[in-house]
Amino acid sequence: MRRTVRAAVAGVAATLLIAGCSGQSLEGKEDSGNGAAGEQITLKVNFWGDMGLDALKAKYEKEHPNIKIVLNTGEFNAQHEDLQKKLVAGSGAPDISAVDEGFIVQFRNQSDKFVNLLDKGGAEFESKYLDWKWKAAMSADGKQIGLGTDVGGLAMCYRSDLFEKAGLPKDREAVSKLWTNWDDFIKVGQQYVAKTGKKFVDSGTNMFNPVLAQQPVGFYNDQEQLVMDGGPKVAFDTSMKAIDAGISANLVSFQANWNTGFKKDQFAVLACPAWMLGHIQETAPDQKGKWDIAAIPGGGGNWGGSWWTIPSQGKNIDAAADFVKWMVQPEQQIEVFKTVGNLPSQPALYKDPAVLDYKKEFMSNAPTGQIFAATAESLKPQYLGKKNGPTRVAVENVIRRVQQGGLKSDAAWAEAVKQAEKVAKTGK
Amino acid sequence: MSLTELRPASHRQSPPPAPGKTKHWLYRFDTKTIPYIFISPFFILFAIFGVFPLIFNGIVALRNWRLDDPTLTGWAGLANFERLLSDEDFWNSLGNTFGIFILSTVPQLLAALIIANLLNRRLRGNTFWRIGILLPYLTPVVASTLVFAIFFARDNGLANWFLSLVGFGQETPLDWRAQKWSAWIAIATMVNWKWIGYNALLYLSAMQSIPKDVYEAAAVDGASPWRQLWQITVPMIQPVVVFTVILSTIGGLQLFNEPMMFDENPQSADGGTDHQFQTIAQLIYKVGWKDLDLGYAASMSWALFLIILVVAGINFALTRRIGGDR
Repeated sequence: MRRTVRAAVAGVAATLLIAGCSGQSLEGKEDSGNGAAGEQITLKVNFWGDMGLDALKAKYEKEHPNIKIVLNTGEFNAQHEDLQKKLVAGSGAPDISAVDEGFIVQFRNQSDKFVNLLDKGGAEFESKYLDWKWKAAMSADGKQIGLGTDVGGLAMCYRSDLFEKAGLPKDREAVSKLWTNWDDFIKVGQQYVAKTGKKFVDSGTNMFNPVLAQQPVGFYNDQEQLVMDGGPKVAFDTSMKAIDAGISANLVSFQANWNTGFKKDQFAVLACPAWMLGHIQETAPDQKGKWDIAAIPGGGGNWGGSWWTIPSQGKNIDAAADFVKWMVQPEQQIEVFKTVGNLPSQPALYKDPAVLDYKKEFMSNAPTGQIFAATAESLKPQYLGKKNGPTRVAVENVIRRVQQGGLKSDAAWAEAVKQAEKVAKTGK
Repeated sequence: MSLTELRPASHRQSPPPAPGKTKHWLYRFDTKTIPYIFISPFFILFAIFGVFPLIFNGIVALRNWRLDDPTLTGWAGLANFERLLSDEDFWNSLGNTFGIFILSTVPQLLAALIIANLLNRRLRGNTFWRIGILLPYLTPVVASTLVFAIFFARDNGLANWFLSLVGFGQETPLDWRAQKWSAWIAIATMVNWKWIGYNALLYLSAMQSIPKDVYEAAAVDGASPWRQLWQITVPMIQPVVVFTVILSTIGGLQLFNEPMMFDENPQSADGGTDHQFQTIAQLIYKVGWKDLDLGYAASMSWALFLIILVVAGINFALTRRIGGDR
């Protein structure tokens, strides 16, 4: 009997945990039945972090009284894995799901499981999008599985108050001039560390990712072959150099201790795609006005950015398509840009005064529109293979092992190649 | 005395006058079938949630079943098990599981024994202490593990603060998740914290049934309390010791929540950057639900089942001997 109790406790805990991982997929299911006119329709939207949808939801529900929108945010990797599972299972997927660029190739290869948005009046958007953004969500046989919402762009966020204390320039123009390349950046970091005794960057992985994003080829070439010796090697070496120079706080990004790191001033710079602004704002709301944005060393690049997709198993795909089309309208995209900072993927908006003249109060009134729009328009996108997501996780784990001291930095590259090859080999 | 003996007999000898056929049938039903119906819920539930998954799992283990590739299906034979033998992740997690198991079970049962022995004496506020040691057991494991995960944090963690008080790690704080030994100790601490009280109460209840005169006789013969514990108490509560050892073996080898939540990124189910503390249960979860390879995960589950049977058997044999030849 006691054994049963013990097992039950463990069982309940495990269920809670698994339910947590799968993103409360039962929520709002019971009334998402038939989409006849006038009937109450519930649309479940899955995404991660904060995509600035709270205000949009209220607005849309007010305009469409028969629509109820359920926002379901979760952990980045888990949301994608969950979507994959539900697609294979044939049920349980949300009505609308965000998909990041790291996973879009994986999903566009399963285009039969998504609504082809060209059938739902999506074709009119083609001319509005950045060319590569439109093509990235299109399957080989010409089906469009997603409408782009944001692109990452790339800049460097820094704590101007901490810079000032360390005797570094505070002004964003001057800071940008401090580092034209990553070697300079590491040198500035060493100065900062010597002066303050605190670390400069949050983690080696947040050196690796932006540098990789700046390379012409990422983990995989467009024939889906793993090419570790190109871009990944450059990025990996840079991250090793940073760790060896002692400028990394060696935290694990997006996890609890990283959040604590913000509050305890454990690092002073953070590689910033546009969507990172929302993270900073959410994690450290009391650091308003202490952050600013400068150019990233090495110039430009793109890291992240997502699409709205509609799994075809949904019962209300028409209502979902209407909502998605509404969300990508300029007015809503600008609204999202202003609340969380996500940069729209429609170039017309980069010339829109609402974006260009916008100054982000939280980031010391930095002109985020100008900064990110400039990087986004000129960038050359990288091909991200089907296995890009898991490969990145494997290599990040090797970097973390170096951070933890379990692996020497000169032996780390061989290990990273080994782990990446292991991921590339598994499965199909 | 004689009356009570007669009553049941009288049923058989003189049935009620003129029993109707239905009544007779009901009576037979009542005595022959009802008891089985009363005990059946357990067996029905056990069949649904115990036997069926076990068999189904065994079948899945012999098949290819990948969620990310529905076309890859059919019988795999023993291929999944063969793959297991050369899978370094599996052996690594097996090593981790046993390491954590030994670090948790041995101190846990020893501490429980000593605490039970202390509680068995006359103390002020007896009930208070006895309930007190059970409190960790009542805490939901997810909640307590989250607290422990913060306790064992590298920066600003309480454990490292204690270490710094005695002069360790002031320069570079210990990263508990970085090395196997430190991660194992941290996880074993969580397990010990939770189960010591529970086991102590089991031992205590067994100890209370030991007659006092045995101890008195031993005391007269000059046996120290320590010797009394090992040569009188332990042999006399041996059945309970066997019970707790087997329970701890099963629980220890199925360890999942603690290593899962201890990870910096609990969603990854990696058990550390280099799988320093990935247990078998965690690996099964990862292979099944993150790598979406259900057939392989099922074969791991069966392997774990067999391992638990063997280890529990060994432990049973060992602990039975501690009582001497009784």
